[in-house]
Amino acid sequence: VADTFEKDALSYLDALYRTALRMTRSPADAEDLVQETYIRAFRFREQFRPGTNLKAWLFRILTNTFINEYRRRSARPETAELDDVDEYSLYRRMVGGAAASSSPDPEAALLDGLVDREVIEALEELPERFRTVVLLDVEGFSYKEMAEMLDIPIGTVMSRLHRARKSLQKRLYELARDRGIAAARAMPRPGS
Amino acid sequence: VSKDLDCGDCLERLYAFLEEDLAPDERAAMGTHLADCAPCLDELEAVKRRDAVLAKVRECCGADVAPPALRDRIARLLPPS
Repeated sequence: VADTFEKDALSYLDALYRTALRMTRSPADAEDLVQETYIRAFRFREQFRPGTNLKAWLFRILTNTFINEYRRRSARPETAELDDVDEYSLYRRMVGGAAASSSPDPEAALLDGLVDREVIEALEELPERFRTVVLLDVEGFSYKEMAEMLDIPIGTVMSRLHRARKSLQKRLYELARDRGIAAARAMPRPGS
Repeated sequence: VSKDLDCGDCLERLYAFLEEDLAPDERAAMGTHLADCAPCLDELEAVKRRDAVLAKVRECCGADVAPPALRDRIARLLPPS
């Protein structure tokens, strides 16, 4: 009989690998990290409670293994802190009462001009604890799931993601501006 | 600061909370409210999903797949069926 637990666990291989790749920033380390994650998952499978979220359980093993074993031997030095950044955030807009507007988003239009590589590099420059929450967001985890996975209060997850997002926004805006995307988008269209 | 923060207070102070600009007791009250309040969490998840910067990162990061050699190594960890 095919083992459902193992089959299900294997279905998250791509998601675990791409997260490991952004965490370690090294394909070789990412492969080792994912392999170690599966070794532990299969060894401790009795600890998984059927009916709960297997993806979250596997990602918890991945992030713990990374934090405990890979972080220290990272090939690339980690940036310790984020610069303080001023911004015009969605949170601020929401709190100001103008949330949930369906009008075209100028920020999204600006970001459209950036290629994947630029965005990934900006992400990889974030200090590890900020990068981790962004990566978990990419994989669709909620604030609550991230808090449980990382063993930190939910408010801490929120402020980390908020600060990571601000820093990314600034970096991506600078990239777009440097390439003249911002200027081109701001020009009035002739004849309209 | 009242120990029982309502959702209006929570959203009003959210930006200051995220910026870590609140006094310790206010911060603690916010943390307690956010940990337990499903409507606030739902709202904040929705804000997160609408965010253009995070959407861009999701779009750019979602494409990588595991190398076939890794897939083989993991498959060999499984007991023979």
